[in-house]
Amino acid sequence: MTSTRLVHGVGANALEWLYAHREGFRLEVDADPEVGFLERFKPVGELAMICAVLFREGVAGSRQADLARRLLDHAWLQTLDGGRMLVRGHRTEPASPIPFEVYLPFRELGRSVPEMDYALGVCARLRAWQAREVAPVRRLGLSAFAARFGLPPDPPVAQAAAQTWLGRTPEPWTVDGHTAYDVTHTVFHLTGWGEHPQDLPADVAAYLTAWLPAWLDDWLDLRRWDLLGELLCVDACLPQPTLDPAAWRGFAAAQQDDGAMPAVREMPHGDPSDVFDVVYHSTLVAAFASVLATSRSLSRLAGAAP
Amino acid sequence: MEQTGTSSRLTEAVQSLAADVVSALRSGDRSGVLCATAGPGADGDVALAAIRVLASDALLPQVLAAGPADPADLDVFGRAVRAFPPAPHSSPASCWSHWGMTRTLAALSRPHLPDLPGGPGTAGEPAARAGHRPGAGTEPDGAWLDDGMSWQDLTRRLAVLAPLAVPGSGCAPARTAAARTLDLARGFVRAVRRRDWLQAAGAARWLALAPDVPASLGLAGGLDFVQYMGGQDTRVLLHTDAARLMLTGAAV
Repeated sequence: MTSTRLVHGVGANALEWLYAHREGFRLEVDADPEVGFLERFKPVGELAMICAVLFREGVAGSRQADLARRLLDHAWLQTLDGGRMLVRGHRTEPASPIPFEVYLPFRELGRSVPEMDYALGVCARLRAWQAREVAPVRRLGLSAFAARFGLPPDPPVAQAAAQTWLGRTPEPWTVDGHTAYDVTHTVFHLTGWGEHPQDLPADVAAYLTAWLPAWLDDWLDLRRWDLLGELLCVDACLPQPTLDPAAWRGFAAAQQDDGAMPAVREMPHGDPSDVFDVVYHSTLVAAFASVLATSRSLSRLAGAAP
Repeated sequence: MEQTGTSSRLTEAVQSLAADVVSALRSGDRSGVLCATAGPGADGDVALAAIRVLASDALLPQVLAAGPADPADLDVFGRAVRAFPPAPHSSPASCWSHWGMTRTLAALSRPHLPDLPGGPGTAGEPAARAGHRPGAGTEPDGAWLDDGMSWQDLTRRLAVLAPLAVPGSGCAPARTAAARTLDLARGFVRAVRRRDWLQAAGAARWLALAPDVPASLGLAGGLDFVQYMGGQDTRVLLHTDAARLMLTGAAV
């Protein structure tokens, strides 16, 4: 059995690192057009989403809740300049959904930007919005995102989900690093980032219940911490999470003393901002996996369904 | 150097014998496979050792067909059984494979083959009886495959015992495999991901006998894939062919 203390500790440490390195969540206003201004928006959106999950699950200690609140304030006030950078991002690339996706978790936490709401109303009505060429899991993400914004998802979420790799429940031994990320994100979109585990279709839940243990074992062995962390999040979204003890022990052991979680194998060295870019995601994932698994673990202790 | 040379000759002999068994499985011509390996002019000791390595699979076509074996083949097989008895400290895997050979020899030596795994009247036989067939001897220690074993270790061990995975086997490993189908299926996924084709093929042998393999595993396609990726090793080919025969019901 996995210790709740161990699982919780991973998240608490990760949050310490994220707060200590909050300056890494930065936009590049003068980004090379070839790279694009929106390139650095994704980390900010992911940070906001993880903080939102942390508030939602309510299992963080007061220290973690306080750090999460301060991180969110930093991202909103400093990085996004109170939302003005979202508008700027949207005006730079009006066809991109990214500024809206980054905006969504902030909006759900009560930080709205009327101009972004108006812009979305304009853009989402365009045929080009649905015509965007994307992979099936991205299409599902856009449908789920539209639903959360209160827009009619096109295609409907269930239809989009059926087209994903996971939705087609392929031979589990064909999974690879890329498809595994598609799997994790399909689960995140379908469950609202772990908020509604019951929204996972029964066949998909049964498929993951059968094969996730083999995948956890595999990526633990390969020391792919970022992917392992996402798969641990998926485990916590299942009707009966395993809270796989070996995977959690390995994941916790990979975490650095300062809370950073290497993405793959060992911690990289070099310029701090480069190191941040490599490990911020795996550290966010560590916080995410921890809060979901802690919540499920406590629910289990209380004998209640998640 | 001599050791390396012997080891290399044994590897070659095992590959060659497995290829011969595969040919026999595919052609239905079951006579003389072992004689060709260990007959006059052959490298006798190495050939017998190769038979010991393949264990009961050296006579797999006869076992699956529940048909009579060529007496000369049986004689060679019997020599391999006697030449390599388990030592007091032999591994459980070695004890089990030797036990399987003893049972195969006893069963194929009988005129009407009543005790052959897969033979008439053995389907669904209570497993407890299997170890007490005349000539089969007492089963080795089944604790080697105890209930609390991880699915990873279970798969590793059962894959090594794949020659015991034949219809109606009824022995302790067969009972364990039947009770832990999902764990074995996870082990198959793991082995394929790790490109351990021999382990994957060995696990697939057991899965081919299980009635409750999850459809999402895609076992039939998995057999083709493992054969395509790992079939240069004729032992892999032997297992995938055997599994396919059992899966399609072509084996009795």
